Amino acid sequence: MLLIYEPESAYQGEAGERRLTEIVAKHMALAEELIAAGIQKGGGGLQGVDTATTVVTGGGQQTVHDGPFAETHEQLGGYYLIEVDDLDEALAIARRIPVAEGGKVEVRPLMREDD
Amino acid sequence: MKTTDGGQIAAVRPRVVAALAARFRDLDLAEDAFSDAAAAALVAWRQQPPGDHAAWLWRAAVRRAIDARRKAAVRRRAQHDLRQPEATPEELLIAAREPIPDERLRLIFVCSHPALAPDTRAALTLKVVCGLSTERLARAFLVSEPTMLQRITRAKRKIQAAGVPFAIPEPADWPERLDAVLSTLEVAYAQAYEDAALTEEAAPFTAEVLRLSGVLAEVLPQEPEVLALAALVRFAEARRPARLDRYGVMVPLEDQDPALWRRDLMVEGAGLLERSAEMGRLGARQILAAIHAAHLSRAETGAAPWAEIARLYDALIAMRPDVVVQVNRAVSRGKAFGADEGLRALAQLADEPRVQTWRPYHAARASLLNQAGEHEAAIQAFEAALRLSPPQAERRFLEQRMAEATRSLRGGRATFG
Repeated sequence: MLLIYEPESAYQGEAGERRLTEIVAKHMALAEELIAAGIQKGGGGLQGVDTATTVVTGGGQQTVHDGPFAETHEQLGGYYLIEVDDLDEALAIARRIPVAEGGKVEVRPLMREDD
Repeated sequence: MKTTDGGQIAAVRPRVVAALAARFRDLDLAEDAFSDAAAAALVAWRQQPPGDHAAWLWRAAVRRAIDARRKAAVRRRAQHDLRQPEATPEELLIAAREPIPDERLRLIFVCSHPALAPDTRAALTLKVVCGLSTERLARAFLVSEPTMLQRITRAKRKIQAAGVPFAIPEPADWPERLDAVLSTLEVAYAQAYEDAALTEEAAPFTAEVLRLSGVLAEVLPQEPEVLALAALVRFAEARRPARLDRYGVMVPLEDQDPALWRRDLMVEGAGLLERSAEMGRLGARQILAAIHAAHLSRAETGAAPWAEIARLYDALIAMRPDVVVQVNRAVSRGKAFGADEGLRALAQLADEPRVQTWRPYHAARASLLNQAGEHEAAIQAFEAALRLSPPQAERRFLEQRMAEATRSLRGGRATFG
């Protein structure tokens, strides 16, 4: 499991768009190589944190919030990749993911070809 | 007449914009198409008034939305040589001849989705459903216009990108989602209500919340909290004409002249509250509406039933143990059982760090201290409230009361020599 962290600002503006095109081309080349070698099992780009929604479990309740998981206290412990029609369906599954008290599940759409 | 046409347009807007948003799955497109259609209507209706205003606007807006879609599709194909537009214009024109589907509730659910920031939901709902301008929203929510525009734009982008569905929530999600909608409307109304001096300016804004809460009660007649919210907003609005004196000074509820309260809204609210209560499911908004109704009963009886109001606050605090309710409960106990009882209830809050910077706490404390004859402490509390930048009408009210307390203090001292 490889997780990519980057500043979103790097891809904003005209220079950012050029950089994005370059980086995406590099991703595709790398992925092609890794898939051919039988190493890569899956992957994808995520849309910006602007599109993030988080389900918080705590105090016997589950609540939905705007925005990404932002604490430094908890650590990323795993991921599910699902395909559903809309955010409500994704949130319904996010609620079913077992987490410890205070656990959070962030929901982020993947980039689509037409984005 | 122009004002009548404008009024007709505003009245049918929620229904038409909601139907457009449902059909085209695009809030911006729905809003733009409706604005264009409304502008055309203002010209066309002067020549020939339509038989059905909603149907006229719906047809005109659908036509404009299709045009816009087609132009965008042509641009897209030119750039990427990709896919056809989703539906043919013929199909959509057939749809336009059908009765306008009622999608208002779905639109309200989209705009109040918990995946959107709470402070944005109310603004987005008022913008999209009621057509309030960004400028007016910025003023009502006390932020700059660019900030408001940014919030709205971001929320719309998120709805699109995150895939917020244009749907009525599943039964399992219903309580949370309905509560988000009702809180959204409550926030919207509170924003408009806060400044009594905004009477003129906030009147159209509160009229929209009044309308929207009525729409909600119409489409969800089986939800007691929905009816209670509609009642609550009507009761509060009924008092608007009495909230300022002729010098522009705020008049607190207990000093208002009941003759100035609006009977039409009081009657409407009473009907809604009665229906809500008949369902036998008690909620916080129902108790709040009952408190408002108790205050308004002074119009018939001549005296506010403070003991009953204090009892209702006891019930409310069990459901909503927040500072706002605690302060109001303390005030009601002061009126019902004497100033000491009110001050005792308020003292439980003294350790809450938030109340120190919260104006209503100091204003309530000042008034209770004054009532208890502790004028010196009251003056200090008035000063604390005045330091927290009250709106003009409230500032003048607080200054007046503080001056009275000062006079009582001097008078008191004089008698002791």
